[in-house]
Amino acid sequence: MTTDFRVPFVNLAAAFQNDALAISKCIEEIGNSGQYILGANVSRFEKEFAGYIGTKYAIGVANGSDALFLIMKALGIGPGDEVITQPNSFIASAWTIVATGATPVFCEVDQTLGMDPDHLSQLITSKTKAVMPVHLTGNPVRIDKIQAVLSGTDINIIEDAAQAVGAKFNGQRVGSFGIAAMFSLHPLKNLGVLGDGGVITTDNEDLYTKVMKLRNHGLIDRDHCEIWGYNSRLDEIQAAVASIRLNNLEANTAKVRSIAAQYSSELNGLVAIPQSYKESEPVFHNFIVHCEDRDDLQAHLHSHGIETKIHYPVPIHLQDCAKPLGYGVGSFPICEKQSKYSLSLPIYPEMTQIQISQVIESIKSYYLDRML
Amino acid sequence: MSKNFLPSQYESDNTFDVQHNYLTQQFSDKDLILEKIREVVANGDFTLGREVDKLEEAFANLVGAKYAIGVGSGTDAIFLSLRALDLKPGDEVITTSFTFYATIGAIVTAGGTPVFCDIEDDFNISVSKIRNLITKKTKAIVPVHWSGRPCEMDEMLMISKEFDIPIIEDACHSILAEYHGQRTGTFGLTGCFSFHPLKNLNVWGDGGIITTNSDEMNLKIRLLRNHGLIDRDHCQVFGYNSRLDTIQAVVANHLLSKIDHITSSRIANAQYLDEGLKEIRGVRVPTRSANIKEVFHIYSFMAENRDSLANFLRENGIDAKVHYPIPMHLQPAAGYLNYKNGDFPETEKAANGTLSLPVHEFVEIKDLDFMISKIKEFYSDNRL
Repeated sequence: MTTDFRVPFVNLAAAFQNDALAISKCIEEIGNSGQYILGANVSRFEKEFAGYIGTKYAIGVANGSDALFLIMKALGIGPGDEVITQPNSFIASAWTIVATGATPVFCEVDQTLGMDPDHLSQLITSKTKAVMPVHLTGNPVRIDKIQAVLSGTDINIIEDAAQAVGAKFNGQRVGSFGIAAMFSLHPLKNLGVLGDGGVITTDNEDLYTKVMKLRNHGLIDRDHCEIWGYNSRLDEIQAAVASIRLNNLEANTAKVRSIAAQYSSELNGLVAIPQSYKESEPVFHNFIVHCEDRDDLQAHLHSHGIETKIHYPVPIHLQDCAKPLGYGVGSFPICEKQSKYSLSLPIYPEMTQIQISQVIESIKSYYLDRML
Repeated sequence: MSKNFLPSQYESDNTFDVQHNYLTQQFSDKDLILEKIREVVANGDFTLGREVDKLEEAFANLVGAKYAIGVGSGTDAIFLSLRALDLKPGDEVITTSFTFYATIGAIVTAGGTPVFCDIEDDFNISVSKIRNLITKKTKAIVPVHWSGRPCEMDEMLMISKEFDIPIIEDACHSILAEYHGQRTGTFGLTGCFSFHPLKNLNVWGDGGIITTNSDEMNLKIRLLRNHGLIDRDHCQVFGYNSRLDTIQAVVANHLLSKIDHITSSRIANAQYLDEGLKEIRGVRVPTRSANIKEVFHIYSFMAENRDSLANFLRENGIDAKVHYPIPMHLQPAAGYLNYKNGDFPETEKAANGTLSLPVHEFVEIKDLDFMISKIKEFYSDNRL
């Protein structure tokens, strides 16, 4: 993953450099132990992670997508059911619903990129079995209003917290609001490991017990299979790496927050900076700005050695795979507008002050050139 | 916390002198692996990285297939193969009840209804009985090359052709196994392999690979394993996330150079056991065939008074195991399929009589002699 950018969008090599020795040691120990699947490292990480988020249980699974899928399967969601999520998310937010046999229903988003509670209230039907708000970029959704919309119903909230490990709303960590939540440990995430991994958090014992079976072939003991299940386990190696990285998470989060603060104060007025609710403490998995001349700005930044990305240029409801769902251009005006205007700036703990300044100065120089 | 129930081979019990689990011995040269993993970490090349590409090419060559596709597990290999066939609810998939849970889990996850077929006395699906099970709804046949012994593929291929029903080979046990000189994983539309830590070719976690000669299946499965994405920003089909980790591909690549030795050791150990066990009254060793190469992921035989023998061997420090005592059609999970005891006499006989002995590359001649002598002792002791 070498790049010619002086400010690459991500730098995974640097991300793992600080922990390289510890990681190398733990892989060696696990290599020696001969215990590679569902051993002590997974149990330990699950305990640590549940403690960190503030839930009773955490369950390590193969990846974040599987985490969403397994939660829905444990809740009995299937054909004929509807699950409401956001169209501006990563595609896995939708395909996991499709994989259960249920139908994804999309909800418009607000200026924070989160689910719009007012629109949500219009989408509830007798078929709605769950609502999956997405704490996109690590920015908490308006969870209290979403809870208010659903109060008095038996519709469950499943938090898609793939990008939001450590974020808080009203002082409480996301991943502890719904019946269950999903976190991703994909290498690019704030708590990234050396490959695919995911975690489910929940306080619900019944859901916990079900997922523990489902992730491991539906086995209730060595010789009895209670329900046809899946194979979706967090590898021992990845769990051990996650434990190491969890130790540094708060320090890393503080670093990206300070980068975000610099971006926000320097760029406010030039571009639309990320908006959060006052109750929210986001963790900036991405720092997304919005501007009408996004493509020009991106070209300018790339020519100045600054790599940016777009999360995501084509909303889920306009993807080829979503055609059978019957949405079209105009279905979600705010989401569609954001997808045309959004630009993700580099943000990660290993960025140097020089790199941060380069991003800021390059954006300023772009707008200065345009004024002249 | 709930206990994690694992496949029996994985329940290592260090009190045995002759164990099924050999992983601590196997990776004595792990420094080479660690060096490569450090490179991956230094490059940040974690997801579908170069080591995965390298493994896919080498594995396709090894098996003799056009393509190989690294996936999350052997279970997912079967699931993604069947999913690529676009099963509709009610579609039937013919398979064996004498298998590991994952074969059936994968069929059900793909939307299929498992239709079980009885086995022969070699523990493999009875190909002559498949024909009677075919209906208009049959969309695939999933034979399992149980224990690393290839199924009767000639007749199965004829049936597949006659009825135009694809074969998805569950080759999770059978890396390098051959039927009439051809390697398993190349007969069906796809072949599904597992890299689970106790498979003949294993990694340090979960992993699997799919082999195929079909351009269409190759493309479709590559889409399905990675969210249905045709590029970063475009999703063609709703997919899944099932990728072989790059660091696991490093381990697999390392072991590719050893798989011939691993396989030949297992075969030699099995032949030694065959010789030692075949004359013992109370033991029936499966008939071996000159036309097939078995790779003995599991070494199993039929034993009279099996449970007593198993206890006796375990008391004597031999890690004897049963793969598996309850066939799939009698599992609680299969309740909705309405099978009952007696439906598959050969399968049930096998489940009640089969016993497995350690046969891996680290089992020594003295261990084999010890196991044979203890089995002799058991049956000469008037326990029948």
